[in-house]
Amino acid sequence: MMTSVMGGDVEPGTGDDVSIERPDTESDRPVQLPRRWRLSDPLISAGATAGLLVVMAVVAEVGARSGWWRASTLPATSTMLSGVAGLMDDPQFWSDLTRSGLEIGLAILFGSTAGLLSGLLFWKLPTLGRIFEPYLVSFYAVPMVLFYPLAIVVVGINASSVVILATIMATIPVALNTTVGLNGIRPVYLKLSRSLQCKPHQMLFSIALPAAAPFIVAGLRLGVVYALIGSIAMEFVTAQAGLGYRIRYYYEIFDNDRMFAYILVVLVLSVLLTALLAGLERLVVKGRTS
Amino acid sequence: MSTIQLDDIRVEFDTPSGKVVAVNGVTQQVPSGGFVSLVGPSGCGKSTLLAVISGLTRATSGQVAVGGKAVTRPGRGIGVVFQEESTLPWRTVQENVQFALQIAGVDKGEQVERANWAIDLVGLKGFEKSYPSMLSGGMRQRVALARTLALEPGVVLMDEPFAALDQQTRIFLGAEVRDIWQRSQQTVLFVTHDISEAILLSQQVWVMSYRPGRIIDVIDVDLPEHRDASIVSSPAFNQLHNRVWSSLQEESKRGFRQQETRT
Amino acid sequence: MSLAARRSASAMRGHENVKEIAGSAGLALVALVVWQVASGLTFVIPTPVETLRVLVANLGDPAYLTDVRATAVAVVSAFTVGTVLGGIMGLVLGLSRWARLIFEPLVIALNGVPKIVLYPILLPIFQLSGSKVVMGILFALFPVLINVATGVREVPAVYWKLGRSVQASRVQMLLHIILPTIRRPLLTGIRLAASLAVVGVVLSEFFATRRGLGRVVLQSYGHGDYAEMVATILLLIVVSFTVSIMLWRWEKRIR
Repeated sequence: MMTSVMGGDVEPGTGDDVSIERPDTESDRPVQLPRRWRLSDPLISAGATAGLLVVMAVVAEVGARSGWWRASTLPATSTMLSGVAGLMDDPQFWSDLTRSGLEIGLAILFGSTAGLLSGLLFWKLPTLGRIFEPYLVSFYAVPMVLFYPLAIVVVGINASSVVILATIMATIPVALNTTVGLNGIRPVYLKLSRSLQCKPHQMLFSIALPAAAPFIVAGLRLGVVYALIGSIAMEFVTAQAGLGYRIRYYYEIFDNDRMFAYILVVLVLSVLLTALLAGLERLVVKGRTS
Repeated sequence: MSTIQLDDIRVEFDTPSGKVVAVNGVTQQVPSGGFVSLVGPSGCGKSTLLAVISGLTRATSGQVAVGGKAVTRPGRGIGVVFQEESTLPWRTVQENVQFALQIAGVDKGEQVERANWAIDLVGLKGFEKSYPSMLSGGMRQRVALARTLALEPGVVLMDEPFAALDQQTRIFLGAEVRDIWQRSQQTVLFVTHDISEAILLSQQVWVMSYRPGRIIDVIDVDLPEHRDASIVSSPAFNQLHNRVWSSLQEESKRGFRQQETRT
Repeated sequence: MSLAARRSASAMRGHENVKEIAGSAGLALVALVVWQVASGLTFVIPTPVETLRVLVANLGDPAYLTDVRATAVAVVSAFTVGTVLGGIMGLVLGLSRWARLIFEPLVIALNGVPKIVLYPILLPIFQLSGSKVVMGILFALFPVLINVATGVREVPAVYWKLGRSVQASRVQMLLHIILPTIRRPLLTGIRLAASLAVVGVVLSEFFATRRGLGRVVLQSYGHGDYAEMVATILLLIVVSFTVSIMLWRWEKRIR
């Protein structure tokens, strides 16, 4: 997660992909393995992750089958997987997926736009930024979902109450990170742009936004994750449709197999989204660090 | 045609503790095609004076003219090389050098042509596709230099461009800057705090006092046109060095004392 | 000159601060006015005064206080356990290259997952009272873990050399070099953990629990008692907001 200058929560590339080597004793170990025996770090990570997943799957399979726990607590892996396969030709599942996807997509779209624009505004008007700062910083950690019951009272139990709150949740990290990124532009770039007589749009698109890009992208990534987490969580509390809602529904009607299939799908989809975003982020900051 | 003409320049700054006069009563001239170095103790206003000439800062009073035209804001005829690292990390060397041309609205084909010329000039051929993060500090400063030269400005202002580099790299790059200048005949004003560097590179050295910055000595460098590192051991060089140093010594001490007591 | 300069500079900064705090307070006032106006437009939104009245009445009601206590205990335990657990795991992940290589991708992936969907799995294992605490821990754990791991990894090389040159023991290294160096990201993590512990616990209570403010909110929603609902949401938001702001100001001071 992120640590910020403004809010205290932002730093580009923190978390998964910090490439700064830990400056410890490893580097001056007297003995080093010959180069060709060493696997590359990403390969080790990928292998280890795959291995851990396989171990968990096997434990779940064996454990459920040999009755280490009740199958209703955690069904066997094969049961869950066949449940997921069963969802593939279940129209209910596709409509839930569409509903959640639509909510999350809209929240991301509105949230990123609003976040970017407010970030630019807070950069141009620093006093305004500092006035909003305490609120953004505290709502950052998303007690926004606590407003959901209020939202459904006012707006109704429908997609728009989810979209509204998820949008706000997505806006905040984007706005904060954009502000921090823009405020952190090195003064020499501003001097450069003045000395080359950049026009305002050249300044914005050729200097300010690219310079702040690592922060902005980190913010966008958080915004996407928050839109996803928020939407699913709100559906889970109460809704009429959507992946989160269906998990609750199947829990209440004791349809465990389908519930676990849905949970698995939600987990896999969010992990895929996270991976996609990390890849996208790497693409944007390519070349910046050696 | 690209003479830098300074007429009674005064620059004041408002700070929380009151008004500070950074530069006062500077009347000087850099002839067209000339190479002048400006030396002075740190914090004396060298960079401020440079900023005034480049149009980035307005003088409180006095006149700056480049090529006979008054300078009130940055212009295309004046190129600046900054002290700080100023390459854009999201652009390759080629794209960095083209940057200034692109901002100026030069068309694509000419951008590439002029960038190639400038890259060649500063000795970066073969690194066009590299990102700045893959280059050394010295090479990055070459990129910044090429970016300025690609604009082919009549006047090049350099604000301690090699301050962050190691001694060997400085000497090397200094010689190249001099070489490029001799071929292009641009007017150069070079700010540094390194006396040897100032003497080695330029035709004339201006010595600036500590705050308020005034030019307290102007020394013509009558060394041969062709200079290499061996010249630093010649008596003529030593004499010049001593003269600059004796002018500077008192000022440096004064500046040092003032800064010490301030903190 | 020096002293006067510093004094006037700090006076200026103080002046700025006052202006910003006034601005932020003004913003809260604007929100209050919007609320008042909105309450006039639709019957489902109680007026601010009505809400405050219900809140005060609630806080004198022993049954309500039982719910407050249930939530508070769950939040505090989740926050404490989550922070400690997250801190330890973060240290391990930051210090050991192998732990990082093996576990980091999974940690990052889990952080981006809507953890609340795991609640039905927790229920049969930890029962109604324990599950919400476990959920709160899951929520609170990650920001501390990730911030500590990143912070430790970014401890400047020269500090490690310094530690070795004075032959600091592992404990001394941790107490005198690592913790002071990572204090800012650590505090950020703790601040996020505090808010997220509230969210995790209350979301769980929304779903299923015997006692707690989340249940009160959903129950009053079901009964159409909107003043009660808004008063409870307000209580939760104001408390976590205040804690968050206090931690944030502390964080800014130690910069």
